[in-house]
Amino acid sequence: MVEHFTSKPIELPPPDHPFARADLAFYGLDHSGASFEGQVFLDARGVGRDAGPDHRAYVGSFFIFGHGGCFGDVGHCDIPVERDPFDLRPPHQLEPAVRILTVTEPVKALLGRDVEAVKVTVTARTAGRTPANVLAFEKVRLMTYA
Amino acid sequence: MSAASPSATQAPRALRHRRSVRRLTTGQLDDLRRAIAAAQEISDDRGYQRWAGIHGLPLPISCTHHTELFLPWHRAYLYLFEKALQERVPGVTLPWWDWTSNHAEGVPAAYARRRDNGRKNPLFDSPIEPGGRENPRQARTVRSEGSPGALPSPTEVDAVLANPDFLTFQTQLESIHDGVHVWVGGTMESIATAAYDPIFWAHHCMIDRLWYLWQLRHPGAGVPARLLDRALAPFPLTVRQTIEIAGLGYDYAASTAAAEGPGHG
Repeated sequence: MVEHFTSKPIELPPPDHPFARADLAFYGLDHSGASFEGQVFLDARGVGRDAGPDHRAYVGSFFIFGHGGCFGDVGHCDIPVERDPFDLRPPHQLEPAVRILTVTEPVKALLGRDVEAVKVTVTARTAGRTPANVLAFEKVRLMTYA
Repeated sequence: MSAASPSATQAPRALRHRRSVRRLTTGQLDDLRRAIAAAQEISDDRGYQRWAGIHGLPLPISCTHHTELFLPWHRAYLYLFEKALQERVPGVTLPWWDWTSNHAEGVPAAYARRRDNGRKNPLFDSPIEPGGRENPRQARTVRSEGSPGALPSPTEVDAVLANPDFLTFQTQLESIHDGVHVWVGGTMESIATAAYDPIFWAHHCMIDRLWYLWQLRHPGAGVPARLLDRALAPFPLTVRQTIEIAGLGYDYAASTAAAEGPGHG
């Protein structure tokens, strides 16, 4: 878990691929701990964990309603590694979440500045707006739609 | 017409209207308070603690968050809780809290006042049974509201409603929903305890209403067929049974007015 993360560069769509909408999808988000806001920045060179929505690179936030910790015995909140295809029970409560942030205009603005790739920065803030070590996800993907 | 839909002759007689909490008449608000208070007084499986506990603690935590069943499960949850309230006060319905407007007010006045007309306001807070607490000292619900400007804007919600795909719409709406839980703070900020706060039901009624508005805006879209026969445990309903709210006996009305007809005499 971290409070602040910056990805490796993600390629923006080439100029000959016009789009009407651009989404940033965050896959594999952990929601086992405290609830938090994930503040997202694009192309935020040198942005620190104190930057907020007034920063020029801020493009929006996603939110996670967290479980607040484990209230069971040992193993209660362990997500099964493998799932039996004949298991009709609902999935484990802590199966990772997905969040999708629409960033159409910021991406178009970056393309207008001839930017070809961007890093995605996320700062997690819990109650009281303080950064907190609650951020964990597997992948962030930029998707565009004509 | 699906099996869950009422017939054309049944619908007008049976449907009940969920209204904005800011537009409740004095009588409607009084009914809601009496229903919640009465449910809070019952300690068995018809009572408030039982219904709040289904969402979170005591274990098992049954709510579905961050899954494909987020909206259907909570629609079933609100429907059955509302039925429980109607057993206390016939005709009462859950109101919605439109957190895209009146930002300066924050939590609606009906829920924000500790006392009203000299009486304790059951919408202000609720006890939490020992098994429902995250820590032993958490005997009652509390809030820690954020700044009013941080609530979702109509523009944000319109952008989410514009999604033509159900799963993308649901994921983005859930993020807005999560943000309001964080904004209210306190008991509402944790899945384990959120439903004990009476504002929980008005918040989720707004979420359910937005799903309904999305359904009106995208009549050709819907929940993927592979999900329709999924059970919404622990409730005796499937996803399919939650699709049409008229089949559940309620509607979201911006306003309603009625007059008696001539009768059949």
